[in-house]
Amino acid sequence: MAVENTASLMDPAPERAKRGAFFFPMLFMGIICAAFDLGRFLWGGSGVPKTVDFDTGATLTVIMLLSMGPMLGARGKLSRGQDAAALGNFMLLMVVGIIMIVGIISTWSAVPIGLGYGGIYDITSGWLALYFLAGTLGLLASVMKGKRVPARFSAERWVAHNVVSFWGFMVLVWTVFFIVFYLA
Amino acid sequence: MATTDVQGRTVSGAGGGGQPFVWSMVLPMVRAGFFGFTGYFAAAWITAMLTHSVIVNPLPATMGYIFGLLGWVAGSGIWEGWIRRAFGGEEAPSLTGVERYFRFSSDPKATAVRYVIFNVLAFFFAGLAAMAIRIELLTPDSTGWWLSEVHYNMTFGIHGLMMLLAVAASVIVGGMGYYLLPLMLGARTVIYPRLLGLSWWLLPPAAVAVFLSPLIGGFQTGWWGYPPLAQNSGSGIVFYALGAATLLTSSLLGALNIMGTIIYMRAKGMSLGRVPMFVWGLFAASTILIVEAPATFTGTLMDLSDMILGSHFYTGPTGIPLAYDDQFWWLFHPEVYVFALPAFALWLEILPAAAQRPLFARNWAIAGLLGVSMVGAMLGVHHYFTAVSAVRMPIFMTITETVSIPTGFVFLAALGTLWGGRLKLSSPVLLSLMAMMNFLIGGLTGIFNADVPADFQLHNTYWVIAHFHYTILGAVIFSWLAGLYWWFPKVTGRLVNEFWAKFHAWWFFIFFNMTFFPMFILGIEGMNRRIAVYLPYLHPLNEFVSISAFFLGAGFLIPAANLFISWRSGKKAPQNPWGSKSLEWHSPSPTPYIVFPEGSEVTVVGPNDNYADGAPEPFVWAPTAAGK
Repeated sequence: MAVENTASLMDPAPERAKRGAFFFPMLFMGIICAAFDLGRFLWGGSGVPKTVDFDTGATLTVIMLLSMGPMLGARGKLSRGQDAAALGNFMLLMVVGIIMIVGIISTWSAVPIGLGYGGIYDITSGWLALYFLAGTLGLLASVMKGKRVPARFSAERWVAHNVVSFWGFMVLVWTVFFIVFYLA
Repeated sequence: MATTDVQGRTVSGAGGGGQPFVWSMVLPMVRAGFFGFTGYFAAAWITAMLTHSVIVNPLPATMGYIFGLLGWVAGSGIWEGWIRRAFGGEEAPSLTGVERYFRFSSDPKATAVRYVIFNVLAFFFAGLAAMAIRIELLTPDSTGWWLSEVHYNMTFGIHGLMMLLAVAASVIVGGMGYYLLPLMLGARTVIYPRLLGLSWWLLPPAAVAVFLSPLIGGFQTGWWGYPPLAQNSGSGIVFYALGAATLLTSSLLGALNIMGTIIYMRAKGMSLGRVPMFVWGLFAASTILIVEAPATFTGTLMDLSDMILGSHFYTGPTGIPLAYDDQFWWLFHPEVYVFALPAFALWLEILPAAAQRPLFARNWAIAGLLGVSMVGAMLGVHHYFTAVSAVRMPIFMTITETVSIPTGFVFLAALGTLWGGRLKLSSPVLLSLMAMMNFLIGGLTGIFNADVPADFQLHNTYWVIAHFHYTILGAVIFSWLAGLYWWFPKVTGRLVNEFWAKFHAWWFFIFFNMTFFPMFILGIEGMNRRIAVYLPYLHPLNEFVSISAFFLGAGFLIPAANLFISWRSGKKAPQNPWGSKSLEWHSPSPTPYIVFPEGSEVTVVGPNDNYADGAPEPFVWAPTAAGK
């Protein structure tokens, strides 16, 4: 039995709730990253191997820090209701996401999985690559929804807000990753 | 406006009542099975070809599992119900009838009912594994006609993992919690209903993989997956690791919903002090999952990585096997409280209504639930005192014994509520009291495990087996049944047959104690756990335990039959058969698709468990300002 008009009644959580509760999955994902980061000191010892591709790591970090520009821009536009304008920022962030995934994979050849540092580096960065994949798919979904059904995009703006929040979370966890694995 | 007047206007027309079941409704499940099966074998076969191996090797099995899981989920209806819509595609209609039980659905009530059915099936098969274990232990030597030592190891590993993660972890939180959470809070649904819907669809593939792990070599590690034995075990260990990770993920999706819903979707006037006790139990359990699960989750992934990717976290020259123990028990001791805290809270929900007495020391009881979740988060090391340095022992011994203090708050609240009350001893109440008794024995015997000198004697013996069965089977499963009987009228609109419910309650209680109490004696007498062969002087007591276990196991058919027959032909239940003041009983039974009426809202003016004479009704219904 299909009853179209009951869907909204069954999902009455306000935008504030949908956005606020997104803190919990990010908290969980953040603790996972913290566990891996701590593992770096247990399995990777105190030094950073000379083979680590520092240039690529630093470049990716700079890119991530710069991506806060379009991220904050998207947040502002969404808050002002300029949904169509925010989609441009989303596409830019998608490109960054793809660059990050490719960049992460490229660093694995410098520190192959195996003993000590390589193992914990590869599994942690691989896990972060999964986050980037999830974030990029979230951005893609938002862009497609924004272009195909703008009214629904606006009605469910909390989804786009959460995607932006997730990107901010990614900037944070990547920066911590860089400090722990490249500098510490 | 009287509550009953408002209830009369509930949007029951959307309940789907009367819609006949037709077999085509199960097609999404068939499709999910087909996609999962195809995904598994395609991915495993392609990986085996690329790596020049066979499909039962760890890497092909891992790839097969991942793509099989994706295929299963894709076939469940998630594409049309969520993904397509999320990418701006056509929006699928909301399914409000019977069919929502057989496909991906965003209705938490349908998800919860599926949880109950899954839990019953998982309990049945994991119970059969327990029976197989007890058959083997009927004789002290290795039987030639039943299980070999290798198969015995696989059997208790599957039994343990399934009973813990596919049964105990979700029987109360999933089957009852997801159904009752919005109803008790005055919400129509949870905060992320689709995420909750997804949580159920992760369960069946994980359970099937673990149960079928012997087909690819099984695993010898028990439910711990300890390295380096894991790396030297059969390929089935990858199903263990992936299955456990999937089950944990499922629990987590539920926990995220519980936290968000409690914080953001409480009814007007429902301050934290007025939140129902059962909801507090769910909250305490969810905090454990969100904060503690990551360490264990990463441990499982790293263990798997050692098996299939060639890393050396726990094996080889840089391997640290003890680190796995730390990561594993970081969650899996507190996980016991994920099972137990909702059970505690369930007692505190049932007993005040049954005794018609206000809940005694309500705030202390809440502090007890939260205190257990906080203190319990830091004591996993007592599981391996035999492997750690002496420095850690007194610290973790003290923390472990401290957890009895907040637990005591809960027990005192329950006893204080009963004191002077006129208890109506219905089957749920009887089972709750039995669960309290069992947990008391389990808790008191746990003190010996926490005490380092005693633990050195009792570690790895049947004392430990008896202890944790008293806490999990004796408390959590008894409470599960109590909850099923208590809320059965809410879900089905019918009453359970009380005679058979009480009959099996006593059956359980007697045979449960006859099965597990002698295990304490076996443990003290020196019977090790995880062995198929034991010394002959332990034979008589083992024989007694096995025969009792067969009666206990057979007894579970009684509630299964009782619930099924009561569902089909039981007496019609009144709207509030227990005289409870809790909010979920303010809506019609069975619960309509849209539980609370349009055009009105509830305001909470007091706790739902104040049964004192002359206490005001805790809920006031009023029309919404805009009439929406």
